[in-house]
Amino acid sequence: MSLSIGLTINGQPRTVALDDPRVTLLDLLRERLDLTGTKKGCDRGQCGACTVLVDGRRINSCLALAASLDGATVTTIEGLADGEALHPVQAAFIEHDGFQCGFCTPGQIMSAIGLIAEGHAGDDPERIRELMSGNICRCGAYQGITEAVLEAQKTLAERNRRDAA
Amino acid sequence: MIRYAKPKNVDEALALLSDGPWRILAGGTDFYPALGNRPLSENVLDINGLSELRGIAEVGSHIVVGARTTWTDIIRRDLPAAFDGLKLAAREVGSVQIQNRASIAGNLCNASPAADGVPPLLTLGAEVELRSASLTRHLPLEDFILGNRRTALQPGEMVTAIRIPKSATAGTSAFVKLGARRYLVISIAMAAARIVVEDGIVAEAAVAVGSCSLVAKRLTGLEAALRGLPIGPALAETVAATSLPELAPIDDVRGTAEYRREAAREIVTRAVLAASGHHPLTKVAA
Ligand SMILES: Cc1cc2nc3c(=O)[nH]c(=O)nc-3n(C[C@H](O)[C@H](O)[C@H](O)COP(=O)(O)OP(=O)(O)OC[C@H]3O[C@@H](n4cnc5c(N)ncnc54)[C@H](O)[C@@H]3O)c2cc1C
Ligand code: FES
Ligand code: FES
Repeated sequence: MSLSIGLTINGQPRTVALDDPRVTLLDLLRERLDLTGTKKGCDRGQCGACTVLVDGRRINSCLALAASLDGATVTTIEGLADGEALHPVQAAFIEHDGFQCGFCTPGQIMSAIGLIAEGHAGDDPERIRELMSGNICRCGAYQGITEAVLEAQKTLAERNRRDAA
Repeated sequence: MIRYAKPKNVDEALALLSDGPWRILAGGTDFYPALGNRPLSENVLDINGLSELRGIAEVGSHIVVGARTTWTDIIRRDLPAAFDGLKLAAREVGSVQIQNRASIAGNLCNASPAADGVPPLLTLGAEVELRSASLTRHLPLEDFILGNRRTALQPGEMVTAIRIPKSATAGTSAFVKLGARRYLVISIAMAAARIVVEDGIVAEAAVAVGSCSLVAKRLTGLEAALRGLPIGPALAETVAATSLPELAPIDDVRGTAEYRREAAREIVTRAVLAASGHHPLTKVAA
């Protein structure tokens, strides 16, 4: 049984033929579409390294069946920068040392973008920690991550205000 | 090669279910981890195309929560204060990434003793709506979850909704979870309480504890002892003095039976006080 699905990945419409309906979104991205920025840490929902946005919401791509997402819009870490210009969340992670080895970072950044879009984190660091708790960092860069999320949230809010004005 | 089907409406799904064995896939957050390292070998019935099973509506005498409603949907929805405990539990299910996909029915069908949705739903008198191609039946949640990973779901059936009688939505509720760390953790024990206060007196009390028995349990003896008490320290004293025969905790990797028994009493106290408006809600870490 071959199954054909359509996905919009980082703004590009793609048609993918799945020879096995069991493939996860994570394996599809990494093994079939050469989008290896999304990482596989645990493959069971516990680490967040595989976080991507599906229809604007953050999910663990290791727990999502690709076939189930026919018609969905997917954003991965590769889809953030605008040419050489980093996305504000990427820039804030660099500014605040939000990583050491960097393995968890694509997932952290996608999760942070999801969190900021959800729009109810406020500026309480404890609330940020709760809402980012699906992303584990074995290097323990949590302090920098929390600062980066707070700053990026501010930058994006200002940008939205400017755009609205 | 396995079969994969994604029906567009419930009747189509039930017709498929009636003609052979399928594994139902909802949010997939228990489905995948349950496979472990063995490849998926069963036919997959993906219910993510059934939009009629998602959302919360008032239908006659019940508040009906569609089977596919996610924990995020529940957190964001304006609901009476009796649902506060369920919302707090929703915030404790894994992480936001999990909550965005994981469904309420998946939590019940997975039937883990540590399922955080079960104690608050027990305090809301929830019943489970089961449908097959030929029959619709309603079971009290107590009769749906039969044991560790065991439910009353029959071949050919699926859960279509969780129904909460409006008569059980009075009062205020709370949920307290004990885990080995603050976030993203399986419960060592958890407690939910819903209290209706009239003129400073407990008029109605519903209390349930999970992870301290094969199946989460209502503490009916304690509920009776709380009724009629004035709001205040008498509530905590009563929790301390009442025997809780429903709790039959076991030793496991997350804690000993003895520890669980003590911890359960403590979180029950906190949940009861919080639901009665007398305690800042705190989460505990071991
Ligand atoms: C990292 C991680 C952390 C977690 N933390 C928690 C936690 O803290 N607390 C907690 O309670 N849970 C936790 N879970 C478990 C899980 O997220 C929840 O139980 C969730 O609600 C399951 O819903 P789902 O839609 O993903 O179910 P699925 O995985 O899709 O399905 C679960 C089971 O139910 C069956 N099923 C699903 N829907 C139906 C239906 N409508 N009718 C019949 N059968 C059905 C499936 O066949 C399967 O056997 C965690 C999971 C992960 C991966
Ligand atoms: S790889 Fe998906 S959560 Fe760890
Ligand atoms: S930077 Fe190394 S795991 Fe987070």
